[in-house]
Amino acid sequence: MSVVEIHGARRPSLPLARMTGATLVVLVVLFALAGPLLVPGDPFAQSLMKALAGPEAAAPLGYDHLGRSVFHRLAHALRLSPLIALAAVATAGAAGLLLGTLAAAQGGWADRILTMLADALLALPGLLLVLIVLAILPGTALGFWAGLSLVLWVEFFRLTRAATRETLASPAVQASRLLGFGPAYLFRTHVWPEIAPMMLTAAAFGTATAIMAIAALGFVHVGMRAPTPELGLMMVELLPYWREAPLALLSPVLATFALLLGLTLLAGSRET
Amino acid sequence: MTLLKAEDISVRDGGTVILEPLSLQLDPGEPLVILGETGSGKSLMAQALMGTLPPELDAKGRIAIGTQVLNAGAPARFRGLWGREIGVLPQEPWLSLDPLMRARDQVAETHALVRGLPRGKARARAGADLAALGLGGSETRYPHELSGGMAQRVAIAAARAGGARIVIADEPTKGLDAARRDDVAALLLTEMGETGGLLVITHDLALARRLGGRAIVLRAGAVVECGATDQVFAAPKAPYTKEFFAADPERWAPRRHAARGGPAVVSAKGLALSRGGRTLFEDVSLEIFQGGVFGVTGPSGCGKSSLGDALLGLIDPARGTVSRRSGNHPNDFQKLYQDPVAAFPRKRTLGQTIADTARLCGARPGEIETLRDRLGLAPGLLARRPGAVSGGELQRLSLLRVLLRNPSFIFADEPTSRLDPITQARVIALLTETTERDGTALLLVSHDAALIRNTADTVLALAAPRPPCRPDAALARRRVASTLH
Repeated sequence: MSVVEIHGARRPSLPLARMTGATLVVLVVLFALAGPLLVPGDPFAQSLMKALAGPEAAAPLGYDHLGRSVFHRLAHALRLSPLIALAAVATAGAAGLLLGTLAAAQGGWADRILTMLADALLALPGLLLVLIVLAILPGTALGFWAGLSLVLWVEFFRLTRAATRETLASPAVQASRLLGFGPAYLFRTHVWPEIAPMMLTAAAFGTATAIMAIAALGFVHVGMRAPTPELGLMMVELLPYWREAPLALLSPVLATFALLLGLTLLAGSRET
Repeated sequence: MTLLKAEDISVRDGGTVILEPLSLQLDPGEPLVILGETGSGKSLMAQALMGTLPPELDAKGRIAIGTQVLNAGAPARFRGLWGREIGVLPQEPWLSLDPLMRARDQVAETHALVRGLPRGKARARAGADLAALGLGGSETRYPHELSGGMAQRVAIAAARAGGARIVIADEPTKGLDAARRDDVAALLLTEMGETGGLLVITHDLALARRLGGRAIVLRAGAVVECGATDQVFAAPKAPYTKEFFAADPERWAPRRHAARGGPAVVSAKGLALSRGGRTLFEDVSLEIFQGGVFGVTGPSGCGKSSLGDALLGLIDPARGTVSRRSGNHPNDFQKLYQDPVAAFPRKRTLGQTIADTARLCGARPGEIETLRDRLGLAPGLLARRPGAVSGGELQRLSLLRVLLRNPSFIFADEPTSRLDPITQARVIALLTETTERDGTALLLVSHDAALIRNTADTVLALAAPRPPCRPDAALARRRVASTLH
């Protein structure tokens, strides 16, 4: 009930978190893209003589149980999952935005059917849905892209629908309609500026979720197949040798952690 | 004994003085009213007295509260006084109550946390406080079950529960209709009693007159006039005070009625509206003519804004018909909003929005500039966003945007309820001038009966709708539709 306002001092903490997140993501991406250029090598080349050997100039992170360079496998793994994740998020974001705006603008039956569909998908565990799609579609990467898109669009749809409904009911939109502006103008000037920050946040979270899902399914041997370098697969392959080659196991774990933490920090709070 | 004495309080923003040195004192049993238009510095002054100024502003001066003397430049020391010596009644208190807390608990919280009473005792005291304000029997209700006036009383009880003898009320009547405004004045006076102090910041002249006591008139951060409220009202000395009082709708000269011409632009027959299953009004028939001002007034919730929306075709009537003059384009019917900030896209500059409208309407080049000068708007305003422009200017910009459409009908929904009297008089004069000059039909909706009476050619007074669960109020259901001519 009292008039207590806290001014200043609190503000800078959010940009700091975002900056840290952006730095982490940029570092991981830089490693994935530039790493193999700086230290040329083949992620598939085996040399059983060097199995579980420590770091050396040609393999800065040592060797795995089959004598493959962990450095190069990790760099390739960090290209694969984020690429699939980004493709899935882009597809899901576009679909969610389109369908969410449609549901909010049309209302009635279109809204009810789309909401019911989204709720039904939400009731299924996401990983199970990805597994089903993986079983149906040929090609693991394609399957992951389709399955993850199917899981992720619901979030974008729900956010867009809720925010667009609220915006469309506002006096500002009513005034623009009375003046004779069409739907394209309403979307561009009223709806998009309101939902754009939310969509970016959701996209960062969605990318993190997708990378996590690919790694999780790889870890339980139902995702990417060996010998493809993939984060979850690398972890489970190296797990039995944690005593002999701790660095080889820690590399994919730390890289995954840094990437996910970076994306989550980048997403920041929903308030913006 | 003086409760609060402030000497040479001034507020600066960097190098600019935004409140010039001002001294005042608050005596028990005598309300002090700070009058002024928006931007006159009256809220800054109250914040300086409470130590709640934003940190980028510096205050100077000495404030004596009870036995303590404080430096206005060191706001941290004021904290201990909040709730114990100074209580603040927030603007629109029904919004500041916790919606998930029962009335008694809202007050008991202050007793327990500010005074440190044990839970049981705090609840008992809270119950007694509410009973003293005539809220016995409502202790266990949630805010949504209370009427606006009851919620305000709960907020007052909570503000004073910490033992504060001084109550500072900032615009306590903002957005209230005349009947509720008088209730608030009576409530504030009762709460003050013989021993309490009351400082009211307002631009509501009727409230100031009812409170009496002493008054200070502020303008642009400087004192224009001060003295006993009755005397200030009876014989204002400063020219600004005279202008300020003359802007009160009660004192406006009635507008000369326009001659009726041609067929009605909009008419309604046997119109009935309902909202949420509740009938707002029934059997309203009206005709609005070109060049005429049709006024609608009534208490809040009577459906006066909904009537305008129904005429615009934004909501469907429960019964009856709305007909518009044939040959009109649908976009010839426009609306001005109560809160102009909400009527513009938030993240776009006003210039962009207005340029978009001009392009859409195929306006002649230079038309924006012509209208801008006619409405007395500075060119620099167009580079700003809606949040960075004052309410009066923004309402004129809304009018500019609407006029680009060459409308034949404008529905002005409480266009001045958030403006101070001088700005209100200017905006209403512009509206009526536009109506006469362009031959537009104007539907003016306001809770201020005096404003409507002195502005409109035809007046429709709506009564409050019947509350759904109170059969004893059946009489209030009768609708009065009168035509004053």
